[in-house]
Amino acid sequence: MKKPKKNRNVGIIGVGQTIYSSHREDVNQAEMVHEAVALALKDAGLTRDDIDCVVHGNMELFEMVHQPDIWHTIATGAYGKSAFRLTTGGTTGTTVVCAADNLVASGLYDIVVAIGFEKLQEGHTTGGITNMADPLWGRHLQTGALTDATAQAMIREFGEERALRAAMRMRVQMDKHACLNPNSHRSFGLDYSQIDDLMKNSPRLVGELRLIHMCSQSDGACAVIFAGEEKAKKLSDKPVWVRDHITVHREETFTMYSLDPADRDPSSHRIAAQRLFERNGITNPVEYFDVFEMYDPSAWWGLDWLRDFMLLDGDEHLKMVENDEILIGGKMVMNPSGGVVAANPIGATAIVRVAEAALQVRGDAGRHQAPGGVRHALASGFGGTYWTVLVMLEKDLDWQEVSADG
Amino acid sequence: MAEFFGATVEDVFKTQDARFRAEDAKGVDAVVAYDITGEGGGRWRVTVRDSRAVTEKVTGSDFGAFTTKITTDAETFIGVTVGKIDGTAAFTSGRVKIEGDMKIVALLPRLFTKYSPPSRGVSARDIIATFPERFRPEAAKGLDAAIGYNLAGEGGGQWTAVVKDGRLEMREGLAENLTVNQTVGARDYVDLMLGKLDPMVAIGAGRLRITGDMEVAKVLPKLFRKYEPKEVERGPELIVLKKTISVGMRFSTGPVMGRFLEGLKGRKIFANVCPSCGRRQLPPREVCAVCRCRAGEFVEVGPEGVLVNVEICYYASPDPLTGETRETPYGTSNILLDGCRGTETFWHYIKREDLFDVKRGSRVRPVWAESRTGSVHDIKYFEMVR
Repeated sequence: MKKPKKNRNVGIIGVGQTIYSSHREDVNQAEMVHEAVALALKDAGLTRDDIDCVVHGNMELFEMVHQPDIWHTIATGAYGKSAFRLTTGGTTGTTVVCAADNLVASGLYDIVVAIGFEKLQEGHTTGGITNMADPLWGRHLQTGALTDATAQAMIREFGEERALRAAMRMRVQMDKHACLNPNSHRSFGLDYSQIDDLMKNSPRLVGELRLIHMCSQSDGACAVIFAGEEKAKKLSDKPVWVRDHITVHREETFTMYSLDPADRDPSSHRIAAQRLFERNGITNPVEYFDVFEMYDPSAWWGLDWLRDFMLLDGDEHLKMVENDEILIGGKMVMNPSGGVVAANPIGATAIVRVAEAALQVRGDAGRHQAPGGVRHALASGFGGTYWTVLVMLEKDLDWQEVSADG
Repeated sequence: MAEFFGATVEDVFKTQDARFRAEDAKGVDAVVAYDITGEGGGRWRVTVRDSRAVTEKVTGSDFGAFTTKITTDAETFIGVTVGKIDGTAAFTSGRVKIEGDMKIVALLPRLFTKYSPPSRGVSARDIIATFPERFRPEAAKGLDAAIGYNLAGEGGGQWTAVVKDGRLEMREGLAENLTVNQTVGARDYVDLMLGKLDPMVAIGAGRLRITGDMEVAKVLPKLFRKYEPKEVERGPELIVLKKTISVGMRFSTGPVMGRFLEGLKGRKIFANVCPSCGRRQLPPREVCAVCRCRAGEFVEVGPEGVLVNVEICYYASPDPLTGETRETPYGTSNILLDGCRGTETFWHYIKREDLFDVKRGSRVRPVWAESRTGSVHDIKYFEMVR
């Protein structure tokens, strides 16, 4: 897959996030979105007038507002400007990032703000997700976003004890990170000593997918400001460069299960990672990336997907968790923010991954900053029935382009 | 005894039996053991049987036989009890542990009215006293009703509002033949009147119970002017608007899906075949997504097959198509029907009675609905071939 050609480099120059919580009844949608936009503008040292274009997104059916971008015009600063609305399911947050990057890279706009938001308490999340399945067949059978197929597959592959323990260890690790992030919706203060207890006693949702493994339903918004290289260097002391991004769609709902694991197609995560890393000349992603902000809706998926995204084999991903290599201070820090299990305002969730990765590269993540200078970061989005977006961020504009055919 | 959130664990259990609602406890036979750990903790046993509740302090280490055991620390226990700590979060994070029958825990808020720490400020009794001045005779025309207020807990009591010929008469106690009866904790009643507690939330949580003539219950809010607390400083009112969208939809199936659905009417399951890679698609799709070519050939597969994936759902999610909460556990599965290979699986339900017997690899067969219309429901579920 050829790398898309950019007319110019694009840098992230501003990040704004609301706090994430179970309900924000103190503000309406537009006011909540404005909080994030105002914080991003402040972070970038800009005003609304400096923005050329707005890209806005959230989940399509969760609050049942047909075109919330129209209602939110005064909150986003889109009044009288170019504005786009995008909605691609759980990947929405990364899709608005890709769009903003493309719009700036093309030369059409100098400064673009990408916005993702969700107020899950205002609608019906399971109803919305169930309506994502096709209305002719799957809608009747869909059970929201809950599944334990991954847990069962991992138990078959690694044995019950090891798989259950590794998934719960990752859950505790994510919570340790969440406790350092002041924006977290859920930070419990879990400890490794609770692993055995939670493995047995946390209530089951589906099979071995237990309540503690699963992400929350949150309210919140996030805005990220992108600028062309020239302006980014002028406006920001430490722009974070968007090196590349990739989107992969598959029809995995239909081809996810078989008696022989060898029959299974590679996941959209692995295909996205393979293509992205190949065209950027990255052969060992665990060595290359300092931080990975993954869209991890549950600890089981977080654990399983680490193998796909980092192109690992066998039990290498389990070892990374068992040896605390994904903890802040570890070899390749995963979700220093606490990840999606810590906060999940779905339409914002994926852009939060990019925003947090950018803060890590800038060194501005505060208490949950990974030490040692973050130079290369990866962020993922996940949505629909297995769609993947990956975004690569860099501290320096020093990467070598792989040949055009690469 | 250590106090948290203005109450001790002892306070809560001392009022436990007084907060019991016998009318909601019919058929309940349970012993709930409370192991409240740490400073201010202790052990209690609450027995609900024959529409009676008995709360006892357990002095030894042995609870005896129990249906359900709840273990948590005193601060969490009181915090959750008075609503200062989110019960779901405490449970999710393992700070509250539950052993044994979980159903009784969901039932507890119905069996006992909510504990409220000693009240400061307006009481339910104070609000009841304002009924005559707030009564709107014009709204009561033609209404002949006895409305009961059963408000348990401190500051509460039992009253009957008798409305007849456009007049209101307040009586102590609950009349024999109530038109409508409302049962709610005194503290919750105050919160409802002050707009701090949403009536639908209170009903949904089992904290407010309205029985009797629902048509009369519906007009109750109109009978009285809104209660306005006196000399209470009020912040800006935050209004939440409630909306329900309910629309009928119709979706065209198209010829490919239509052929498949037509097959179900005749108890046949059709897959379509990619002419390039040969894979079977279930349900059929217009083209093979991988090869991007039209998949025109249909083949009959199954109806029996082998289970490849079973999901046992414990989460009582509402079915968004009906609004009804699904009975749990229920099972969905992916089945490799005879004639299919690899990942060519079929998605459907598993018979509830077979859920814990089936495994990956079990042979299953469809159970067809008597009346078939060309929909997913033409197959009721798959059952185990025994």
